[in-house]
Amino acid sequence: MALKKGLILTSFLCLPALVLTSGADLEEKMLGDESDGSRAHLIHLIPLMTEEGDKIAPDDDPLLPFSTSKTCGECHRYATVTKGWHFNAVDSQAGSGRRGQPWILVDPRTGMQIPISYRRWPGTFTPEQVGLTRRLFLRIFGRHTPGGGIGERPSEDPSEIMRSMVSGNLEANCLSCHDGDPGHDQAEYDAQVIRENFRWAAAATCSFASVTGSAKDMPDTYDPIMPEPPEDPKLVPPGITYRANTFDSEKRVSLNIQGEVPAERCYFCHSNLYLDNDNAEKWSSDEDIHLKAGLTCVDCHRNGIDHNIIRGYEGEADVSTNRLSASSSCRGCHLPGESSSAPTAGRLGAPVPEHVGMPTVHFEKLSCTACHSGPWPGDKTYLTKTSMAHRLGTLNVNKSHEALPHIVAPVFAQQPDGKIAPHKLIWPAFWADMKDVNITPIPFEAVRRTVGKVLAKQELPASADWPALTTEDIAEALKALSAEQSIEGKSAYISGGSLYSLDDSGQLKKEENHPAAQPYLWPIAHHVRPAAQSLGIRYCTDCHTTDAPFFFGDVSIDSPIVAARGSVKMVEFQGDIDALYTKLFAFSFVFRSWMKAIALGCCMVLASVLLLYALKALACVAKVLAGQD
Amino acid sequence: MYRTISVVAFAVTFAGIVLNCIVSPCACCKEYWRHPLKRLVGLFGLLLIKRKSSPVDVLRKLVYLLALLCFVVLAVTGFYPILVLGEHISGYLVMVHITFASVFVVCLAVLAVMWAGKCCFKRGDCRMTRRLVEWFTGVKGPEEESARESFGVGQKVFFWLIIVLALPLTLSIILSMFPLFGTYWQDFSLVVHRYVALAFALIAIVHTYLMIRSQIN
Repeated sequence: MALKKGLILTSFLCLPALVLTSGADLEEKMLGDESDGSRAHLIHLIPLMTEEGDKIAPDDDPLLPFSTSKTCGECHRYATVTKGWHFNAVDSQAGSGRRGQPWILVDPRTGMQIPISYRRWPGTFTPEQVGLTRRLFLRIFGRHTPGGGIGERPSEDPSEIMRSMVSGNLEANCLSCHDGDPGHDQAEYDAQVIRENFRWAAAATCSFASVTGSAKDMPDTYDPIMPEPPEDPKLVPPGITYRANTFDSEKRVSLNIQGEVPAERCYFCHSNLYLDNDNAEKWSSDEDIHLKAGLTCVDCHRNGIDHNIIRGYEGEADVSTNRLSASSSCRGCHLPGESSSAPTAGRLGAPVPEHVGMPTVHFEKLSCTACHSGPWPGDKTYLTKTSMAHRLGTLNVNKSHEALPHIVAPVFAQQPDGKIAPHKLIWPAFWADMKDVNITPIPFEAVRRTVGKVLAKQELPASADWPALTTEDIAEALKALSAEQSIEGKSAYISGGSLYSLDDSGQLKKEENHPAAQPYLWPIAHHVRPAAQSLGIRYCTDCHTTDAPFFFGDVSIDSPIVAARGSVKMVEFQGDIDALYTKLFAFSFVFRSWMKAIALGCCMVLASVLLLYALKALACVAKVLAGQD
Repeated sequence: MYRTISVVAFAVTFAGIVLNCIVSPCACCKEYWRHPLKRLVGLFGLLLIKRKSSPVDVLRKLVYLLALLCFVVLAVTGFYPILVLGEHISGYLVMVHITFASVFVVCLAVLAVMWAGKCCFKRGDCRMTRRLVEWFTGVKGPEEESARESFGVGQKVFFWLIIVLALPLTLSIILSMFPLFGTYWQDFSLVVHRYVALAFALIAIVHTYLMIRSQIN
């Protein structure tokens, strides 16, 4: 009895210690979470694990796809990794940081292009606001996500819970970035995501695995672990095969994992194509100067195991916990630090710029990217394609220049910090529910059902451009939407910076420059041009002329309504800058060289007078000292 | 820092001028209180050109008045933003400043040529200096020349200071417009311009005061 009491007491006393120990375990780093310092390439000869945590063998039946959370999670703390920037958009605790590229929901049939983001950047809407469920979001945009985040969140829609069991989670796909195998096919990720083969998507990108079938076609009751043949023999259930000789004798697989992610991996999601007439093809446009100088993306965009990657903008250090964020911006690398004890300028061979002849006021008013990044500005903004918006790099991409969404660049606009920087811009176009001053998008499916029916007669161009809508079409669609029961307020259409609604008499009313119709802009960081290609290199008149694109270039106003298309001057986006003043100031540069010549001439006259009378004075002094006078 | 220095410097200068008026009042000041309107008209009369003036005198006066106008505009556009608003000159003020500066530097060059001869120091300009030179060299100079036609010694000193300071004042800005200096020297030249402009403004104010005083007397 005494022994039993002693055991209970000992157990009770040990309990806090056990709790503390298990807490310490949570914080403890795993084998691969911290480098031992070797810069040599690390070999990953590892077993593949299913999402249940079982080792995969080539003779398993059924053969299951490997799970990154379990396979990579054997040595790397998966929960830590998935808190990083690329995965944490849905995390309400994660900071949003500077505005970035949103997802853009596009539907040419209903005249929609609307920026959405889980990060709640001002000007974007959340997927829920536009009626996108988790499943729909992943099917449309999962292609260019690295998985994790919303891919692993349980759906809030009850009807999707069973589907989640069939499709599985879209886990963080470590291979999206870290697979150094030349046979890695990220486009296959898109193909699997469209088929809702979320569980199989990561494995499908590997050169040693191939995935067939479609989870989307399977019934809610389908169990991939104990699959039964579908009733319809035409339907193919999702399945995976591993290439022969993938596994060694100990059922391990050799993965070519790159700690330092190659730029090609980043490019899958972060490619840009500026469609100016001269450089509309990839071969005819230049890459970022940093890449050409031998750097890779991750030389500046660094992170540790927490994947808290440096975005690289000025001021990031105020919101980021990455200790290198301050020294990894343009200024951080290229300019001497003001308070650092050790010199930081010139890291990785970064040249320290002299900015010869550049008045320092430019550094107060402009970001570094204003002169050094993006395409050289033309008289008009260029249509721009990006991987995330235009599915670049995936199968069956519409290569037409006019393919939606219509993003224009470069737009030299004022940032929240007051500096002017080049931006990409999109004019939101969507159908909205207007209650007083509150504008909320009407759910996507409702719009397709109602507006899609009204505008069905419109011919959709093969270029995936807008259909040519008229104000009559809009009025008709608004009338149809007014009958929609889900709309609580008044139906409205936002496009090209204007809000269209029906007045009391049923006539179409247009409100220009409506706050809810403002364009969404996000900064351009790359590609960075070399110094000899930067704005101002040819003289002040690169920007200070009465027709310089920097101030007076035309920013296209995009709208499916043909009559609403047009342009607005760049200076309109530059905060408090007065267009008249800018014009007059630019005009003054016509006389600037004359002024300099006259001023220098006058200085010579002044210097001559001074010299003449100084010599006279010297002569007097000499005479006096010589006793002659 | 610059703002404080500027405010103090302007305050001291104006205080000095007022003190000088009180301690050593000119004819104008003595009679001002008795006939304020008359003296005010007289003061503005200094701006007018005498009927018997030669063309050179007319040109000299016109250039001086133009320079004075430019100086006032430059001082207001240059110092108002920094002293009153606490910010750097920008916007329309910059344009006005640059435009008037171009005219001002031309006026200064013309005045330098036209006034330099009259502003040469003469034997009688400073008795103490003269006595010092005579004691040092042992040579006794001729009698003092009449100073009626030339400027007072104060005006001469401030004139030459204005001409000397005009050079760094102009060059600090003009040279920064050429692709010669990097960021550090651009900043430096701006600092030079500010401080030289302050010294120049104070000297120009004192010179103008002395000019008015001598004209009235």
